[in-house]
Amino acid sequence: MSDLVLPAMADTAFNLLAARLQMALTLGFHIVLAVFGIGMPVLLLAAEWQYLRTGDELWKALAHRWSKIFAVLFAVGAISGTVLSFELGLLWPEFMRQFGPVVAFPFAMEGFAFFLEAIFVGIYLYGWNRLSRWAHWWCGVPIALGGAASAWFVVTVNAWMNTPRGFAMDGGRAVDIDPIAAMLNPASGPQTAHMIVAAYMVAGFLVAAVYAWSLLGDPSSVYSRRAMKLGLALGVAASPIQLIAGDWAARLVAQTQPVKLAALEGQFKTEAGAPLRIGGLPDEATRETNYALEIPGLLSWLAYRDRDAVVQGLDDFPADQTPPVAIVHVAFQVMVGCGVFLALLSLVVLWRGLRRRRLPDGPVFLRLLVVSGPLSLVALEAGWVVTEVGRQPWIVQDVARTADMVTAAPYVGWMLLATIVTYTVIAVGTITALRLLAKQSLPEVAKQPMPENALGA
Amino acid sequence: MEPENILLVVILMGLTVYALFGGADFGAGVWEVNTAMQASPKERKLLFGAIGPVWEANHVWLIFVLVAMFGAFPEAFAVFCQALWLPLVLALAGIVFRGVGFALRTYSIGAERQQFAWEVVFAIGSTAAPFFLGTCVGALASGSLNVARDARFQGNFLTGWLSPMALFTGFFVVGMCAYLAAVYLAREAKGLGDRELTLLWRQRALATGIWMGVLALAGVAYVATDAPLLWDGFRQRSWPLVLGSIVAGFLSLYSLIRERYRTAVLGAAAAVTSVIWGWAVAQYPWLVPPTITVEDAKAPANVLWLLIATICLGFLLLVPALAYLLYLFKVGRRIG
Ligand code: HDD
Ligand code: HEM
Ligand code: HEM
Repeated sequence: MSDLVLPAMADTAFNLLAARLQMALTLGFHIVLAVFGIGMPVLLLAAEWQYLRTGDELWKALAHRWSKIFAVLFAVGAISGTVLSFELGLLWPEFMRQFGPVVAFPFAMEGFAFFLEAIFVGIYLYGWNRLSRWAHWWCGVPIALGGAASAWFVVTVNAWMNTPRGFAMDGGRAVDIDPIAAMLNPASGPQTAHMIVAAYMVAGFLVAAVYAWSLLGDPSSVYSRRAMKLGLALGVAASPIQLIAGDWAARLVAQTQPVKLAALEGQFKTEAGAPLRIGGLPDEATRETNYALEIPGLLSWLAYRDRDAVVQGLDDFPADQTPPVAIVHVAFQVMVGCGVFLALLSLVVLWRGLRRRRLPDGPVFLRLLVVSGPLSLVALEAGWVVTEVGRQPWIVQDVARTADMVTAAPYVGWMLLATIVTYTVIAVGTITALRLLAKQSLPEVAKQPMPENALGA
Repeated sequence: MEPENILLVVILMGLTVYALFGGADFGAGVWEVNTAMQASPKERKLLFGAIGPVWEANHVWLIFVLVAMFGAFPEAFAVFCQALWLPLVLALAGIVFRGVGFALRTYSIGAERQQFAWEVVFAIGSTAAPFFLGTCVGALASGSLNVARDARFQGNFLTGWLSPMALFTGFFVVGMCAYLAAVYLAREAKGLGDRELTLLWRQRALATGIWMGVLALAGVAYVATDAPLLWDGFRQRSWPLVLGSIVAGFLSLYSLIRERYRTAVLGAAAAVTSVIWGWAVAQYPWLVPPTITVEDAKAPANVLWLLIATICLGFLLLVPALAYLLYLFKVGRRIG
């Protein structure tokens, strides 16, 4: 679509780089808080439910403590989300000009979803003593639903960038727009499912990791054990589903974005019966992926459910339409590696839980849990690198190039610098506040068999 | 009515609610700056207690306005984001630091120095945000943004937005927020039965209110001489709203003197509302005077209708929830 190119601009290349880095940084930051916005309400509801069911004050102490942590994370999440809303226009004005009407519908729906969320967060956090106990619990339900709904709607926008539908291009404008068809594009199903499950995984495993850590210090704490169990339950429930969702996402990429699939797999040559490469480092100069463990025919089978299917290689596409292969391939390997590890861990937990009616809690297991939290986060970030970098050089696959959408305003580099400083301050401040929260003493009930620093940070 | 005009009305309503609710939250921070962070613990408790449960919900109105804007008027949104990028970034920084400051202040319990540091961040952010949002409005209204007819910004990216009108509007909006906050807080203190705080905020509200009256007059005089397009709009169409804001402003001041706080709140809200609508009616049909009109910038009609339907349905869901929130935390404490 070179007829869409803007009038020549000085510094476009630098602006583009800075804008992309800024987008990656701010989205990568927001997504961490967003997964807590999606997963944490579920944990909160579970803890409060246990309290309502058993009347055990220890559960209430847990729910209470978590609601404060959630409050901090939610606020920072809302702020980082606001930054994104502005950035869409500030960094990519041309994108908004051309495609704003196409994607506005899901964004508006997302807006309503978190409006609902924000209202009930206010009620839930400040309503502990103002509502009846069950009314309070029910006020948590719209938070959980709203979180998942905002994720669903916003990820359909990303899915639309991957498999654009519902419009035609005419002289640098989207015309014949059907916003609903755009929202319900082919990638929306798999991407939203994969994302929401990922959110539950990350929230669950991170919470489990924090309490596994404190259990390593004080194995007798009932409080930490219960907290860990709830987190673990969420993570364990989500992980096996994620294998299925991930496979769905990958097959859709194979059908709709063959270039991206080739990059994911480091597949340079078009071949029938293509092997699955585990690990490996693609070399764009020699057009080969080295050091990989190759399983013959498996890629063809995974992508098309046929061991002899032809998988298109990168060499089939014009060089100016392929993404940076190495980054995409490595990120994909990292995500899948983490995903498989976490799914296996979950299956072990399930197996032992069902057989012995008891969770494993030896130090080895606890240590595994401590790493599982960070690993799930790594998988999440790696997954977004796969999606975003794998789509380059397009911002809207085969329709609009990222380079043509970037702002002409200079000083994007300075903005990036300011953003880095600001986000560092916010990250440090948030972690400090969470640590302070963790240090606050719990009510008497929770104190008996438990250490000062039950939460870590 | 054409769908673009319906959406324009909806966007303005969103902006109005944001000004009345979010603006008052900003105003609370402005008062922290005005009093050089010297507020007493009791005063702070009132101030932060008033914001706590509602600021996140109030904040979403801004997101609502942004999304409706780029959905309905993508061309204008793209122009704003280029021509006004600097004040927008600065406003955004204010919004970010206000929110972070508030949240981390609330939960940095037991660490007094940190808590105070976040209070300062909150206060400065709360002042910067309305100031720069105000400059954006002023820069637009003055008609001095150098935008070509094909919607490309041709002015200077660093200074193109700066004009006396922009700076004036920035100060005016900060003052408006401070006034709203003072009036609301007076009423809230009254509701809590705290005589001393009630009188303190009443006095502050009166002082700001008088200043705002003077500023508003200066503003009208300025528009008359320097923003001819807007002035024509004022004279031909929106003078009833200007009159209305003057009457409402006096009403709220008079009620403050008479210690009738509920009326004072309503008067203040009505004054702010008529200022916003007065500006909008005067500027119509220009989104970016003097080059881009509503007609130039609008999205296709089917998209607009879909947005309208979405917004109607959304509010059907939201209004009861919002009413419940305000009922729980504000009824008997304050309106807004
Ligand atoms: C906890 C996080 C997590 C885990 C364990 C996995 N993923 Fe993932 N993946 C994501 C988190 C994620 C993500 C961050 O949520 C992405 C980015 C965009 C998206 O929709 O989901 C993603 C994207 C993504 C894509 C690109 C979709 C696109 O560009 O349209 C594919 C092909 C996969 N994943 C496949 C997998 C497979 C086969 C996994 C097997 C184990 C897997 N993912 C585990
Ligand atoms: C929340 C998780 C997300 C993360 C971590 C993420 C990450 C990234 C990364 C790494 C880039 C840089 C790509 C490159 O430099 O080659 C990028 C670019 C971009 N992303 Fe995402 N992304 C996310 C979601 C989204 C969503 C939901 C949208 C929806 C509009 C989006 C829109 C963009 C845009 C417009 C760019 C710039 C153009 C480009 O380089 O592709 N991203 N993002
Ligand atoms: C371009 C991309 C994005 C934009 C413009 C965006 C925008 C926003 C905004 C404005 C908020 C604040 C709402 C409030 O004030 O309460 C928010 C919060 C949220 N966002 Fe995003 N967002 C983006 C990407 C994502 C992605 C990819 C997810 C996926 C999981 C996500 C999930 C959430 C959730 C769950 C919240 C609720 C607040 C929280 O839990 O912290 N967002 N987002």
